[in-house]
Amino acid sequence: MTTLPPDAAVHVRDLRKSYTIHEKEPGFLGSLRAFVRRQSREVEAVRGVSFDLAPGEVVGFLGPNGAGKTTTLKMLSGLLHPSGGEVRVAGFEPRRRQSEFLRRITLVMGQKQQLIWDLPALDSFLVNQAIYEIPDPQYRATMHEFTEVLGLSGILKKQVRKLSLGERMKCELAAALLHRPQVLFLDEPTIGLDVNMQESVRAFIRDYNERYGATVILTSHYMADVTALARRILVIDRGQLVFDGDLARLVERAGGGKTVRLQLRRPVTAAALAAYGEGVKVDGLSAELTVPRAEVSSRAARLLADLDVADLTVEDPPIEAVMAELFGGKEAVRG
Amino acid sequence: MTRYLRLLRLFTGATLSAQLEYRANFLGAVLASLGEVGVALLGIGVLFGQPGTDTVGGWTFHQALLVTGFFMLTEGVISVFIQPNMSKIAEAVRTGSMDFTLLKPLDAQFGVSTRHLNVLRAGDLLIGLGLIAYAASHLTVTLGGFAGAAVLYLSAVVIVYCIWLALSTTAFWFVKTQNASELFNGVFGAARFPVTAFPVPIRALLTFVVPVALITTVPAQALTGTLTPALALASPLVAAAAFVLTRLFWLKAVASYTSASS
Repeated sequence: MTTLPPDAAVHVRDLRKSYTIHEKEPGFLGSLRAFVRRQSREVEAVRGVSFDLAPGEVVGFLGPNGAGKTTTLKMLSGLLHPSGGEVRVAGFEPRRRQSEFLRRITLVMGQKQQLIWDLPALDSFLVNQAIYEIPDPQYRATMHEFTEVLGLSGILKKQVRKLSLGERMKCELAAALLHRPQVLFLDEPTIGLDVNMQESVRAFIRDYNERYGATVILTSHYMADVTALARRILVIDRGQLVFDGDLARLVERAGGGKTVRLQLRRPVTAAALAAYGEGVKVDGLSAELTVPRAEVSSRAARLLADLDVADLTVEDPPIEAVMAELFGGKEAVRG
Repeated sequence: MTRYLRLLRLFTGATLSAQLEYRANFLGAVLASLGEVGVALLGIGVLFGQPGTDTVGGWTFHQALLVTGFFMLTEGVISVFIQPNMSKIAEAVRTGSMDFTLLKPLDAQFGVSTRHLNVLRAGDLLIGLGLIAYAASHLTVTLGGFAGAAVLYLSAVVIVYCIWLALSTTAFWFVKTQNASELFNGVFGAARFPVTAFPVPIRALLTFVVPVALITTVPAQALTGTLTPALALASPLVAAAAFVLTRLFWLKAVASYTSASS
């Protein structure tokens, strides 16, 4: 593992950001009215967020659409100036955008790309090598390593516009991490990718974190990303941090119960199962229901005794359900 | 410094290879260059084509042709070096790809000003230089006049760059700024003629408000040795002041960047 300075953490205190936005009524007349006289309104996107990250920590950053996740990441990376509060990343104040700071961080945005569209990814890598002044031996070593972990061989010399979305994202990641940053801000790095591609992006991030001890903040709307990579979860809602802790505790706090899955030998009606728990779903010989956390063992015992059960498993509810619970059934956990 | 030179080389290489991807574009660019020079020559032809017209605003045909040469050269500098970069600033702000420029440990103004070249319009540069060389061969040009013209033209390029950058930087607030560069093109069209060919009020406007005079007329005057010391000094000073001011304006714009959401 490459040694990194001990100040590689993220420190955020009472971070705030407000925007002035212009509003317009729908339709042409609305546009005309807005053109002549703009209606503006102050919007607080981030309202007093505080947290600290230890070096090497990986956290998942969750929240519904427009909760302030991306705005926070942009303030942490120095793109946006905070309206208030204190931010330190790797010992630097991001808004000053010093060279030394920018060399230590990266921001990957799943929906934006930095690669030169008409040229092979390798050309973009060379530009980044020159911008970050990466010495040739380090460049070769990093490229070798990334090519292996991400499976880049064979796609580096194709024009970026001819790559598939997944291939392009792999190259984007490689371009963004070529300078071996110690703090990674990943905003929806797997958006739109198929399951295999998501898995290889995850494996790459995990590998990078372990190899270089990098600190990672990750937002995603694929829960699998977050559960696979992060132990600690931050949940932001309407610009405020509503949860900071580990995944298990988030599930607990959302209340709810555990999910019991049954594989039956004989069909059972949903009505018959309603006596054992809530949210009963029956599909042929499989069934699913939710039972209160405290009564998992007693209910499971009754199910096994009363019914002809082939198999029974107890699981934490999918995190989507937990988020839906936390945010009152709104469209949860989208970036 | 060597890092920035190395980057210039890389950016140039990348933008050249990207353009080679689209070969059909080349023909269009050649036609555009020819159209440009045709219009410029037609203008001067109409002026001097009147029977009995030997001078316009005190300029002989070859002196005026010199101005047209500087005009074409500047058109070339704009189409090859300036416009391809500046037109992408507004686009980068609108799509949010400005993020990547600002995240790099590299001066962002350098980054947005040097990333692209439109090599296809390099013909304009050659046509401009050719016109200047042809016109100068019919005039007496001293070595001092040549050196002065070189320095003053360099100042002119800095001024043109600053005007474009200042106009494009407004994209950080207004997002779409295409009309601002149209405004520049409209006024700059006046630079194809010597400023002294215009009535006094317009001449003043073109010297002091929009320094079009400094861009083509002043270098041409330097080359023919008819330049007043005041204008010779004014051009580099205006260039330096413009550079400092646009730099400050750029920094202010970057600080108020709102980054289109992903």
